[in-house]
Amino acid sequence: MLKTIRKKLHHLALPCLITCISSAAFAQMPNDAIYMQKNTACLALSYNHSAWDKYWENKLKRDNLNIGTQTTQTAMAMLAVGVTKNLNVIVALPYIWTEASAGNLKWNKGFQDVSGWVKYRFLDKAGVSLNAVVGASLPVTNYVPDFMPMSIGLQCKTATGRLVARYKHSTGIYATVYGSYILRSKIKIDRDSYLMGETLYNTNEVSVPNAFDLSGRLGYTNKYLQTEVFAEHGACTGGDYIRRNQMPFPTNNMKSTAVGFYGKFQPKNLGFNIRVSRVIDGENVGQSMTYQAGVLYQFAYIKSGKK
Amino acid sequence: MKFMHKSTNTSLARTGIFSLTGGLLLAVTLFSCSKSVNDPAAAVNIPSTIDANAGTWKTFVLASSSEITVAEPKAAGSTEYLAEIKKLKESIGGVTAGQRDLVNYWGAGAAYRWNEITRELAARYNSPPAPNAEGKYPVPDAANPLADPKFPFANPPYAARALAYLSVAQYDALVSAWNYKFKYNRKAPSKTDATVQALLPVSDLPSYPSEDAVVAAASVEILKAMFPGEVPFLEAKLAEHKNSRLWAGMNVESDITAGEALGKAVGQKIMARAKADGMGAANNQAKTQEMIANAAKIGITKTWLSQEFPSRPPMLPTYGFLQPWNFNAATVVVLRPKAPPLIDSPEFKENMDELLSIAKKQTREQARIANYWADGVGSYTPPGHWHRKAAMLCHENNFSEVRTARTFALLGTAVQDAGVCCWDAKYYYYYPRPNQMDHAVKTSVGLPNFPSYTSGHSMFSGAAAEVLSYIFPKEKEKLNAMAVEASVSRIYGLIHYRFDCEEGLATGHKVGAYAVQRAQTDGAQ
Repeated sequence: MLKTIRKKLHHLALPCLITCISSAAFAQMPNDAIYMQKNTACLALSYNHSAWDKYWENKLKRDNLNIGTQTTQTAMAMLAVGVTKNLNVIVALPYIWTEASAGNLKWNKGFQDVSGWVKYRFLDKAGVSLNAVVGASLPVTNYVPDFMPMSIGLQCKTATGRLVARYKHSTGIYATVYGSYILRSKIKIDRDSYLMGETLYNTNEVSVPNAFDLSGRLGYTNKYLQTEVFAEHGACTGGDYIRRNQMPFPTNNMKSTAVGFYGKFQPKNLGFNIRVSRVIDGENVGQSMTYQAGVLYQFAYIKSGKK
Repeated sequence: MKFMHKSTNTSLARTGIFSLTGGLLLAVTLFSCSKSVNDPAAAVNIPSTIDANAGTWKTFVLASSSEITVAEPKAAGSTEYLAEIKKLKESIGGVTAGQRDLVNYWGAGAAYRWNEITRELAARYNSPPAPNAEGKYPVPDAANPLADPKFPFANPPYAARALAYLSVAQYDALVSAWNYKFKYNRKAPSKTDATVQALLPVSDLPSYPSEDAVVAAASVEILKAMFPGEVPFLEAKLAEHKNSRLWAGMNVESDITAGEALGKAVGQKIMARAKADGMGAANNQAKTQEMIANAAKIGITKTWLSQEFPSRPPMLPTYGFLQPWNFNAATVVVLRPKAPPLIDSPEFKENMDELLSIAKKQTREQARIANYWADGVGSYTPPGHWHRKAAMLCHENNFSEVRTARTFALLGTAVQDAGVCCWDAKYYYYYPRPNQMDHAVKTSVGLPNFPSYTSGHSMFSGAAAEVLSYIFPKEKEKLNAMAVEASVSRIYGLIHYRFDCEEGLATGHKVGAYAVQRAQTDGAQ
């Protein structure tokens, strides 16, 4: 989800790409080492605004006066449930809409992919925790995946495996690193002919490359507050590139490196979070600037649950 | 080969998957992980007839099938021929698995494969130049084809023409080859010597000159001119194709040599026409002032403007002056569609309202149709789409090599004629695109950079459906439905008014009828 989320978030943009990647930020997310207590749950509603006016055509950084600024907005609902104190389940569904400030490209909008995650803490000792996360996502609507950069997603079914390691000092300062591998299914497009690399394929099936991501995060947390800075890198394990002066395609090897800040304030049941990130380098993606804000509501779904 | 290349991708993907462990395996089972795509290889073609009289069929550019001379081959009992047969047997004996794949690949049909190769080149070169730092669009340079921008920009008129010349060269060369095949009547190697174990089905078609070498050499002669940056690629394909016939035991060396010489000579004759057909002057931007003034004079109150930033010069404004294939330049004017509705007339408004309503609420099915037929940048264009359809129909119907080439030539010339007529109309009326008139009409496919009236897709498709329906009468209903869908796809994609499409489709059918007239009298019935 994170990934997916991010995907959504970020993704949209030409950047789209990276579906792969991700990070989103919530009460607790598929890419952190924070858990809901047993019998409690957290509902998060978030809004995300991601925009770019420069992108990397292959390795060439450029603008495009026929796109101007490409903007992707996302509204997302996410629910995280504490099954046990070491096992959480998270589901999320985003609604996405895109637009370009110049040119004539038509906007796209719709519900994108539902994602689900299971996060399990298998080691928690002396401030160190190791967590395994598996997730999957599935498109929920028949959106057009190859009208990039205006498409809202890639139509891939995905499966993600992630390892998250965190060290937290008694002062509340922590460091987290994670890495993920994302399997992405083939997709079908409306056309039955397309180029991948220099080969013309005469089929409507498109092989979308798998992807991975890596992240390092440094932060501080206490009972009410969490704040961190982070760096993220995501890329595909293969794929082709945006052809000269042409649009992106789902087979592209989208790579991006982003840095950002995340903060959460949740004094009681109700909380808020914000996230800001900026792509600093990439290939076949837009140089997105992304802002996200969310409202969190934590509650006990079984009476005996405690907060 | 392409197929093998894809298999390689698959195995890499699997390796990646198996290296993962644990919980992921569960996730893996949720969906297929294979990255191989379903792009089935065409089977070896077994012609249902050898079309023995094809040496008498009417040629397009050559005066007759004997215009190019082919020398008489050595007799079957000659020392030279026996030596060739001996060498051929050794060649068959040493065939590797990879060579065997190539034998089967080319066995799908010579014209079939070269048409497919040309569509791939068209897609690879279908890339509009990027603006430079001064906001100008550099013009591709044939003398420096691999620089940025690459030459050619294989847009629809360019692709239509390349495919037309390719097909005409293949056809005229094959009609010539058939003439000599039956004149000299040299049997296939395996029919002369029963111990030659050919790897492909052998018919009674005489083998001298080799029809494969004829098609390959004629094709390469055209394609080297059309895609000058691809000479090494084309020469490698030519060598591979010729070799495949030796590996297969289908031709001896002298069959190939004679075929190559004939194909090359015919290709040169066809290229002589190409050099004089007006393409060199098809991008005469200086002419647009006059065209705009004329359109204003005949009542087009708002003429077309490029909707790109920076403003891009319109695509090939004088392509409408090219020499057509199946009629003369005067007929282009006769075929010119009636004037489009006056801007802001009730009819115009009605058409615009339809687009505004689709712009607000395009259905997923409308988007699908628009995307399926988009054939835009990076594709083989609508002419390529119809050539692919023709290739599939010829293959399904087990057409002979020469009948396949005839189909491509009739289709290719009709489709290019449609392009010429369409470009004539576009620049005669210089009519604005819908989104120039109302920016609320955002497009769901790429917006072409030239005037609106009439729709190029509609004209190409009308002409193609007309020709293919004549050759494949059982498919007529389906072909016409395809053409209608291609035509309305441009309304659904929000880049054309309905009247652009309807008028274009009807005119396309009229253009195609000229090629059908030719087909009725070319001797191939």
